[in-house]
Amino acid sequence: MIKAGQIDKGTALLIKGQPFICVEREFVNPGKGSAFVRLKLKSPSTGQVLRETMKSQDNAEDITVEDRDCQYLYNDGENFHFMMTETYEQIEIPMTTFEDYQFIMKEGETYRVTFWEHQPLDIQVPAKVVFEVAEAEEAVKGDTVTGATKNVTTETGLVVRVPIFIKQGERILVNTETKEYLERVNR
Amino acid sequence: MNIKAIEERSTLMQAMRSWFSQNGYLEVSTPLLSTNLIPEPTIANFSTRLISEFMGERELYLVPSPEVHMKRIIAETHRSIYQISRCFRNREQMGSHHNPEFTMLEYYTVGADDEASIGITERLLADTALEGTPEHVLPPFRRMTVAEACHTYAGVDLDTVQSTTRLRHEALRLGLSVGDEPESWEETFNRIFLNFVEPNLPQDKPLVLSEYPSRIECLAKKIPGRPYRKRWELYAGGLELANCYDEERDAQVVADYYAAQYAILVSQRSVTGEVIPDIDLSFPAIFDAQFPQCSGVAMGIDRLLMLQGRHKTIGDLILFNLSAMMADGH
Repeated sequence: MIKAGQIDKGTALLIKGQPFICVEREFVNPGKGSAFVRLKLKSPSTGQVLRETMKSQDNAEDITVEDRDCQYLYNDGENFHFMMTETYEQIEIPMTTFEDYQFIMKEGETYRVTFWEHQPLDIQVPAKVVFEVAEAEEAVKGDTVTGATKNVTTETGLVVRVPIFIKQGERILVNTETKEYLERVNR
Repeated sequence: MNIKAIEERSTLMQAMRSWFSQNGYLEVSTPLLSTNLIPEPTIANFSTRLISEFMGERELYLVPSPEVHMKRIIAETHRSIYQISRCFRNREQMGSHHNPEFTMLEYYTVGADDEASIGITERLLADTALEGTPEHVLPPFRRMTVAEACHTYAGVDLDTVQSTTRLRHEALRLGLSVGDEPESWEETFNRIFLNFVEPNLPQDKPLVLSEYPSRIECLAKKIPGRPYRKRWELYAGGLELANCYDEERDAQVVADYYAAQYAILVSQRSVTGEVIPDIDLSFPAIFDAQFPQCSGVAMGIDRLLMLQGRHKTIGDLILFNLSAMMADGH
């Protein structure tokens, strides 16, 4: 058992016999009232989303999970295909559960995948990732306003808003949660 | 660092100060560090130690709101006052809408009640809004009572569920798990409110949610003959932005509130080991026959800036917010 207030992003819970992963949590104390936690939970197998608001002191059933290294191979539009690096066993994870991960994960790279009784529940992507700029709009001539931005596309297909000085082929550090540009990475 | 956010805060604060000045409010400045606090069991406090060569050591507290000191000023001056100050709430989890230290605008309008304060707040926000403020943050406000909202979004008739048992039945009917531990009417109400009502409140314009249940204890006057209080909350963009009371002026009611809430606070925190602040037992006596009718509004400035400037998280507005400082390993 775990207190609702201790549930964090990535915490795995068993709800009516089904595993769910916490994808968002926000604390609320309505009108100066006692503490509640508002959770967004996702079922890794069906993509079903549950929104639940519990008192911080409520009990929830957490489940013991295990992390394993898995190499990301490719996606077929429906599933991500991984290979477990220890056993070379291949696994599939539905893409719907992990929005935008197709634009963040790089083929051939190894990620930590969270398992519960052989069922993959969560893919852990780093909070910040370096991407290469595959396509960049040309900055408009004469546009020298401070803070001006433009869109670029990374090698993974992620569209990021960046300062206009970023050029094709350069590398940028991106916050994978907000998809926001953080800085230019020097070679 | 978000330079645009710094500029926006500066612009809004200047606009608000001149608005309050033009409308006859006196700006006041009250302590952040206090010997006593208002007893509010659900708001955890920060304490620190005063060390004095001559007076020894003692515990002091960071204020969770400037309320008690501001009411003392009203008792002395009988004037409308405002303050833009820092407030500190412990256990206020760090997140996209919270930081343990935040900026509060608190204004008391002498002669006004909760109803009049809706118009005052609409004018304040209309006159001071940053350029480019989205429509859903701008007046006019929509209005709804808490009872109407509970009826519409949860099918709960608040008039008839005034007992803890009946409200618990309603929560179970709605499929909520209420736990085995006995809980207060307020806690069960908040379960229903947060799961069914708040997420469904209209967000196209700011919403004044009025007439809070009197079972939720606070220093807002009761509405005679009905189980509600003269209190409203302003919601915008799904966030609680401001809270208004028609301020209780009956010294005995305030004294009873102090005694009852402090007893709850002490009994709860003796178990959890959290800070138990001192309270000022002479405070209720400021409400003598001369204490003027007034309404008080407390507004979260960081949240207002977040909504007006279309920022995604409060972290954009609060420079060096605690979660960022802690993530940097300090």
